[in-house]
Parts: sequence; C-alpha cells; structure tokens
Amino acid sequence: MQMFPKQEVVAMLLAGGQGSRLGVLTKKLAKPAVPFGGKYRIIDFPLSNCVNSGIEAVGILTQYQPLILNEYIGNGQPWDLDGMHSGVNCLSPYQAIKGADWYSGTANAIYQNINYIERYDPDYVVILSGDHIYKMDYNKMLEYHKEKNAACTIAVIDVPLEEASRFGILNTHEDGEIYEFDEKPEHPKSTNASMGIYIFSWKELRKYLTEDEAKEGSSHDFGKDVLPTMLAAGERMFAYPFEGYWKDVGTIDSLWEANMDLLDPNVTLDLKDIYSRNPMMPPHYVSPDANIQNSLIADGCNVEGDLEFSILFSGVTVGKGATINSSIIMPGAVIEEGANVQFAIVAENTVIGKNATVGQRPEAVENRDEWGIAVIGENTVIADGAFIPAKQMIDTDTEVAAE
Amino acid sequence: MRSNDVLGFIFAGTLDEKIPELAASRTTASVPIGGKYRLIDFVLSNMSNSGINNVGIVAKSNFLSLTDHVGSGSAYDLSKRRSNLTLLTPYGGKTFSNFVETIYNMHGYIEHCREEYVLIEQGNVVTNFDYNALFDFHSKNNADITFIYKKGIIPAGYDRPITLDVDASGKVNQIFVKPDNTAEESDFMYGSLLVRKELLMNEIRSALSLNRLDIKRVIQETIGKFRVFAFENKGYTAFISSINSYFAFNMDLMKKEVRDELFNPKRPIYTKVRDDAPSRYGLESKVKNSIIAQGCVIDGEVENCVISKGVYVGKGAKLSNCIVMQDAIIGADTNLNYVIIDKDVQIKDGRSLMGFDSYPSYIAKKSVV
Repeated sequence: MQMFPKQEVVAMLLAGGQGSRLGVLTKKLAKPAVPFGGKYRIIDFPLSNCVNSGIEAVGILTQYQPLILNEYIGNGQPWDLDGMHSGVNCLSPYQAIKGADWYSGTANAIYQNINYIERYDPDYVVILSGDHIYKMDYNKMLEYHKEKNAACTIAVIDVPLEEASRFGILNTHEDGEIYEFDEKPEHPKSTNASMGIYIFSWKELRKYLTEDEAKEGSSHDFGKDVLPTMLAAGERMFAYPFEGYWKDVGTIDSLWEANMDLLDPNVTLDLKDIYSRNPMMPPHYVSPDANIQNSLIADGCNVEGDLEFSILFSGVTVGKGATINSSIIMPGAVIEEGANVQFAIVAENTVIGKNATVGQRPEAVENRDEWGIAVIGENTVIADGAFIPAKQMIDTDTEVAAE
Repeated sequence: MRSNDVLGFIFAGTLDEKIPELAASRTTASVPIGGKYRLIDFVLSNMSNSGINNVGIVAKSNFLSLTDHVGSGSAYDLSKRRSNLTLLTPYGGKTFSNFVETIYNMHGYIEHCREEYVLIEQGNVVTNFDYNALFDFHSKNNADITFIYKKGIIPAGYDRPITLDVDASGKVNQIFVKPDNTAEESDFMYGSLLVRKELLMNEIRSALSLNRLDIKRVIQETIGKFRVFAFENKGYTAFISSINSYFAFNMDLMKKEVRDELFNPKRPIYTKVRDDAPSRYGLESKVKNSIIAQGCVIDGEVENCVISKGVYVGKGAKLSNCIVMQDAIIGADTNLNYVIIDKDVQIKDGRSLMGFDSYPSYIAKKSVV
C-alpha cells in the first residue's frame, strides 16, 4: 500500500442515510446534498468545519442516491480538500474477495473503511453526520478529548428541558464523564443532548468496531451498539459542551426553520468561512417593480416581484406581481407572474405557473394541525392558477394542473 | 484551423491613460466591472469557451491586482496539463513602450508556444464572442490576417482610430488611420486580430529593422502584401475607453437584452471565486432597478446602481445611479448620486456626494469620506 504522510486526525462523515423525513427533497439526492441557505448544501457545514479546524483527510460514507453528492464534492477543491496526499474521498460500499455488503449501520460503514483510515495512521478519528447546521472548531473538542485522556468524546448541546425527550441525552458526572446514555427519555435527567459528533482515540475505536462486527445480533450502529458497549466496558467517555447555533435539519419543519433562522438578526450563525461550490452566474438583478424585505438572494436571480422573509438560491426568476413570503426557493426555479408562494419550499428547476398559489399562512387554515410547510419537488410544473394547500407535498418531475 | 492551435494574446493595459482614476493602481484589464467581474474576465472566458488552451497576458505595469485576480488561470479552466495562462511582464530592463517593441520582446514566449496562430485581444473590451466563427471565417477565406471590427460610432477615447474599407466578402481594401476621432459611423477596428504566428513575427522584425515603431502603420502596410480580411462582431460590445463609457456600460446591465447576451449560460463568464454568502436585504431595504452581487447587506435605498460583492449599505442611505465596488461601506443616512465608489471605500454616516450624468464623480480606493 502507498504510504501517506501521517494525519493526527481523520474525519469520517456519515452521508449514506436516506433522510426519508425530508420526503420529495431527498427522492433523488442524499440528505447532506440538500440545498441550504441560498447557496450551500448541508454538507458544506461539516466540511467547512473540518478544514477550518485543520483536518485535511475526510472520508464521506455514501450509499443512498450518491450521484449529486459525489458530483458536488468532486475533487474537494472548493473546501481546499484537494491536497496531494490528503483531501476528501467519497467512500461507497464495495465488493471484495470475501464478498460485498451494503453498509448495514453507521459502525459497519466505518468498519468497512478501516483500510482508508489506516493509510493515514491517525491517532484520532472524528465521526460526523451530514444533517446538522452549525459552526464548530473540532480542534477545541480534540484538546478536551486529550485533556480528559478519553477513549471517546461526544459533543453535547444544552437543550430546553421540555424538548429533551426528543434527543439522545447523556448523563454525566460533574467532570463531564458520561455514566449513562438515555435515548429519547420520557423523564430526562439532564439537558445534554448528543449532537452526533464523536471523537475516538483510533486504537480503541478500531478494537470496538472489530468486536462489534463479530457480534451476533448487533445492528452495527454507534448509538445503539458501539457506544453502550464501550461504556459498559468502563472506557473513559466524556461529554464536550458546545455553545452556539446547532440545528438538526432532518425534517421539513426543521429545514425550513433553520433557513428562516438565517434571516433572524438575533441568530448567531454567521455564514463567513462556510465554503461551497459557486455556480458561474452574474450578480442578481432587481427590477423597478420589485419589493424586497428581509430576504437572502444569491447570484443569477432575476426579481420583478415581491419578497418577504424568503431565500432565493442561484438563478431563480420571480415574475412581475408574484409574491413570495416565508419561503425557500431552490436553484433555477421560476415563479411566474402573479404567483403567490408562502410558507413553502420549492425545489430545483420547478416552475410555479402564473397566478398559482402554493402554501398558506398558518392563520388561513382552520385546524392548526393541518397546517404545515408546502413542498414542491424538483423539476415539477405547477400549472397557471393551480392551488397547492399548506402541508401538501408534490412529487418530483410531475405536472399539477389547475382544478 | 482548430481553436487549440491558437495562442491567445491579451494586452492588459489598453487605453489605461483614458481611465486614469480607475487604472491608477491597476491595469485596465483588472478594473472591477459589473458587480463581480474584472474587465479581463470577458475576453478570458471567451477564449476558454472557444477552446483556446494557451493564453498570454501582457502587462507593462501595475499588475499586482491582475496577477491576484487571474492567478493560475484555473477559474477559466486555463490551468491544466494541456492548458496554460502566462503573465508576461517586462524583464531584463526591457520596456513595453509600444506594441511593436512589446511583441518583439515577447518573441521568445510566442515562438516557444506550439500554436500556429496568434489571436491578439485588448483588455478593455466587454463582449461575449465565439471565436470559432472567426476561425472558420479565416480558414474559409484562406486569409493571412483577419481583423475583428465593429460597425458604428467610434467610442470616445480612441485617438487616431483605425477604420476599414471592407467589401461584401469581408476582404479589406483599405485601412485608414483617422487623424482624429470625429465619432462618425464607420467600420472600426479595435485591436483584435488573428494572424499566423510566423507572419506576425516576420512583420514585427522587419518593422523594427526599418525603425517603424507605429503599429498602426505596420497594420496599414499589410494591404496589398497579404490576404487581409475583416470579421464583424455583431454582438453587444462595450469599449471601456473613458470614465463615461465605464459608467455607461455598468448602467447597460440594467437592460435585460444586454444581460441575456453577455451572460449567455451556454458561454458563461468566469471570474475568481470568493466565498460570499447570498446578499441580505434588511427590513427597511428598498432596491429598484439594480444589479447586486453576493455578500452584501442592504439596509438602505438603492436605485439604478451596480453594487459589488461584500458592500454594506446602511439604514436610511439613498444611493442612485452609483457604481459601488467591492467591500465598500456606505454609512447610514448618506445620499449619493452619480458616484463611482472604488474598493474598500468608507462613506461615513450622513455624508452627501453628487456627480452628474455626464460627469460621475469618483472616490478613490480605500478613501474615507
């Protein structure tokens, strides 16, 4: 095997899950490739965090619909991850002498790529997931890990007590040492929610991954199998408290909220130093008829309508008299004249016809439980004058006629 | 002929004496334009999109911003095993005092390149042009030299302009060097031409040996000696040859037909990438008929303006008919009309500045007003 210069830390990014709760948005692409924030994809956040933390070797574990993600990552150049002896690699399941297996769980995905990790002879491995929006210096967490002489360190964020039962809660001693995992507890004992960010000392992780692989009945998952086994074996495991903006964007509602957070001056997430691939488009144009308040607009847009609390990705066209409120419009979509889009996510290259209505305000729906964000899949055409009510999800590549 | 057999050769400093403010600390080719571009992005993208793999850029002075912008050429796909971008600057005490000498001083580079043809271009021209049509025209006519020309009024700033007498087939019968620019309709040659490398170097050597340093005379004397043709550039073209034409071009970008032609998605214009976030419009922003690049924060009123990347417009600011270059900070309650604001300028709160349609005022790079 070719020898690579040693890397103290290798990051492994779990990007193989379907993200089924995002519905049509992940029908044709993996969740980490979902567009976010006007010009990014979700994976830009953990990737930029890696480079900004000085991590130069990143393996991305792909399995579900990897085409768009692979193409987007390419040679890693936008993130400076195109080094001569390091950089980013997309790692998909593969065939070997002993057979071929899909990644059966998060731990199995790492296990199948032990050879990739060992090329760099690392001391530590960072395990990340591709569905969170946050900025974090993994170096500080690594220092904490070293200081505590831990086998495993898990980043945690303080969540409100009433929400704690939605998360994996870590119960710790005063010094931060974990004594108990509590997955979605009914009666949480603490408010330390796991952020799905793990640092392992590689020797220990390698040992436990190998043991777990051989174990009958294991689901080969970090949360369900590897971490509890390590804790039961008495390994030193610590919770690293993180302060700052962090949001899981695994559902339509949370994806929409995280986007809207970018428009909130009180939210601390700053997009500086988040890198992405940039489409080659001219600056956007705003016509004399447009009215724009509290919105984000990327290059290549043409805005002739009214925008409020909305995010336009690159190359979006908004026709005269169209109104967009509290919505996310992904690259290349066309909102034609007089159309009305509110509380909606419109995916790439979709056309909303003239005077069509997509989504509704919460107060326009009688039963609040029936209200939700309307979602239109990519490459879909909504006919002139059509009406798509709140919470509706329209498939990709379809045509919706007016009533 | 094939496009990979053509060496692109761009003069970066064209007419820099006509835009002394903008070119005070940079070459003409690296003047910021259109919100996120530098002038040279257009010609470099045209060359790259036409399949030219090898480009040399001649810069006689002030080339720091140019080198910073074009870098290795990777933004234009010109930095690969089989493609190259080379910056050609004075060396060994040689000066670039005129075209004839400059081209001769580059003979080592030009002759070393494996391409058979040279396409000479100027750094002050904004157009989206497919050179393949020119190459076909050149081959079909078995031409020795093909000039690119524009029909119309000669832009202000071109002294002693070259005009052509072209017949219906595109053959050039006569070349005139006008004693002065009377801004009349004509077939006007702006310094773009395609020629076989060997012919170019022979003519330059012979001109030097006869001490004929006036390139316009060298061009004129090709008639009768060679098969000289001219190819019309029928597309939208802006010549940056004065501060007024710079201003007018930026304002032309408000026209849909100009944007559609210049930013044809099939032939994109490339530029150095900066990781700016999308632009943010505040609660009190009011933007009309303007071009806005990424990374801006707009809290004030903007009308008929070109706002470059990373610009901040404060609350209560009123900007109309302005060109604001990157990372400028426009304070709150300012009032600006017909002003060109260079990079990194800071306009303090409450200031007012007025230029005029025919005389936009200019605030130099890094000034604090």
